[in-house]
Amino acid sequence: MRHSNYVRSGLKTAAVLAVAALAGLAGVATSQAQQKTVKVGITLPLTGADAEDALHIKNGAMMAIEEANAKGGVAGHKIDVVVYDSGTATAGQYDPAQAATNTKKLVADPAVVLNIGPQMSGEGKAMTPILSEANLATITPSSTNPDITNPAFAAQFKPKGKAIYFRTVTTDAFQGPNMANFVKGTLKVTSVYVLDDSGAYGVGIADSFQKQAEKIGIKVLGRDQLNPKEADYSTILTKVKAAKPDLLYYGGVGQAGVKLAKQAYDIIPNIPKAGGDGVQGTTFLKGVGFPAAEGWYSTNASPHVTEAPESADWVKRYKARYGSAGFDDYTITAYNAALVAIDSIKRVVEGGKPLNRDNVRDAIQATKMKSLQGEISFDENGDMLDKIVSVFQYKENKSRPVDDFDAQNRYIGVAPAVPGS
Amino acid sequence: MDFQDLLLQQIINGVSLGAMYSLLALGFTMVYGIIELINFAHFNVFMVGSFIALWVLQAMGFAGQSTILYGLPLVGVLLVTLLITMLSSGALGVVIERTALRPLRGMPGTAPMITTIGVSYILFNVILLTVGADTKNFANPMPRVQWDIGEAVVRLREVLLWGVSLMLMLALHYFVRRTKMGKAMQATAQDQEAARMMGVDVDRVVVTAFFLGSALAGAAGMIFGLYYNSTSFIIGYTAGLRAFTAAVLGGIGNIPGAMVGGILIGLIESLGGQFLAVRWTDVIIFSILVLVLVFRPSGLFGRGAPSKS
Repeated sequence: MRHSNYVRSGLKTAAVLAVAALAGLAGVATSQAQQKTVKVGITLPLTGADAEDALHIKNGAMMAIEEANAKGGVAGHKIDVVVYDSGTATAGQYDPAQAATNTKKLVADPAVVLNIGPQMSGEGKAMTPILSEANLATITPSSTNPDITNPAFAAQFKPKGKAIYFRTVTTDAFQGPNMANFVKGTLKVTSVYVLDDSGAYGVGIADSFQKQAEKIGIKVLGRDQLNPKEADYSTILTKVKAAKPDLLYYGGVGQAGVKLAKQAYDIIPNIPKAGGDGVQGTTFLKGVGFPAAEGWYSTNASPHVTEAPESADWVKRYKARYGSAGFDDYTITAYNAALVAIDSIKRVVEGGKPLNRDNVRDAIQATKMKSLQGEISFDENGDMLDKIVSVFQYKENKSRPVDDFDAQNRYIGVAPAVPGS
Repeated sequence: MDFQDLLLQQIINGVSLGAMYSLLALGFTMVYGIIELINFAHFNVFMVGSFIALWVLQAMGFAGQSTILYGLPLVGVLLVTLLITMLSSGALGVVIERTALRPLRGMPGTAPMITTIGVSYILFNVILLTVGADTKNFANPMPRVQWDIGEAVVRLREVLLWGVSLMLMLALHYFVRRTKMGKAMQATAQDQEAARMMGVDVDRVVVTAFFLGSALAGAAGMIFGLYYNSTSFIIGYTAGLRAFTAAVLGGIGNIPGAMVGGILIGLIESLGGQFLAVRWTDVIIFSILVLVLVFRPSGLFGRGAPSKS
């Protein structure tokens, strides 16, 4: 017995060595075929209140990159991804300071030619000054605060002058006002109470909603700010109840939004509620649950594509790759952000130019690409030329699981744009 | 909603918040009264307590707010959950005392207090890493019963919150005043050495204080979940700091003081939010903390135990 064990273990060792040698050879062979790699960063708040939606974004971007690598890379370059988490335990959600630290790490690595992310505008505001210094472009699939790309704030967010913050979604300069038009036109709202979550995105979208609401004759009965770390919003909701608005509008993301929705269901069940893309997504839906989420209106700063027939093949591939991980429209804008990245790298290499940050940035700027969300191209500030805002409403479908996002979230249509914008 | 109803509603909101702060403040005050230690781990024992309650409810088959119970089954489920939550949270408090604080007993300076900050962060991060950071939908079998007083509303869960808090506080008061162990606690609070010489087992007294305080924090955690229908790893921080302020306001070490302090902080929070702006709440509350410490360091009701210096 002992003898045969020796033999067996000897054989095993030999087999392992042989496999290792083969793998080594294969490794050498592939690395000879594509010696060149190019590094792309992904920065998202992967821990924290919005982790699940951030994961969908990461999945979308990774899927595009994996598909490109599986086809032999981009113009002979394999794409290496470095992922940084910008969520921290102390913040409980995205943390601008962590986002800045991660950006410094990306900038310090000369092999990184572009970044995908962030999810949140609060991260974006902290990242852009550092990105601009290094002329390192980022493509965000979901950050919608307009200040970041507004030329009026160029000194703050792009001190070096060139656009480095590109988006595959439109901004809150459209999301907030278009929603104001929708609630006035379709819901016949004449008065609102506006809340925000004190974050960069939340304050911005609430401001732009409020401004347009006032312009088109909706009475703004009050405006308050929520502390996202606070547990109790009953005081503020009692104020809202006393003001008797036709609609409660909330600008902000999940950390405050989930608690607000739960308590609003108890205190003001009969007042309609609406928000921006911060209340879109599985994080919000699962945290709030039904019946509290029922009836909430929300918007997306992109066309609604996950249910479009053209996307069927994409959905099939996504499900095959990530199983039941879930997805939403921003998974597709993330996929497209990665496609823009891939396409830009390809044009740089095929144009015979050196693959560096400056050239990749210029290539992104010149993007003209057909995609599942329509044509993607950017103005000189980095904003999408396509400015569609979609409106949704949560509506429980008991026959489907709660995280089947499209089943629980009814698409209403495109929000009416402000004339002349 | 006219002004009176609005005021009444905000008072109802404030008393509910305050009852929760009171339960939490009791834990701070009891431990401080006995070993003059500010126990920052208490914040997150409260948070862990709300997750224990959630897990117990989930184990009994409740998810979200879809299954509603009435009458005796409801009382039974809530009592079982409360009992398990309080016992487990109490046990957690005992473990913290035995492993992290007893070895440091008698050490001068701030070492034990800083240890409790460390323990607090360990609990915080363990929950963050195991259950994740998103706000969890709390399981709640309570029906949505409410009573209207004018345009103000009192909900069943508020009544439950007040009832449970009042019962627990009375029980604690009785325990400290009337039982042998309670008297031993008072004796230890007055003079640890003298109590030891009179045959009081000081270690047992301290463990009891940690057990009771943590059990109350667990109860507060469960009530938090039922009240808001949600919980997350981050709830300990804000509630804990405010409960601590409540304990200082009432006079740290003073048990009735902590109860009244909690209610006062709750009322300040809701009325301050109504008549000033909600975002100023923390500024108001912590200004009160500073003012109390500067002008009346022994709190509104005085310290429960004479200072040992």
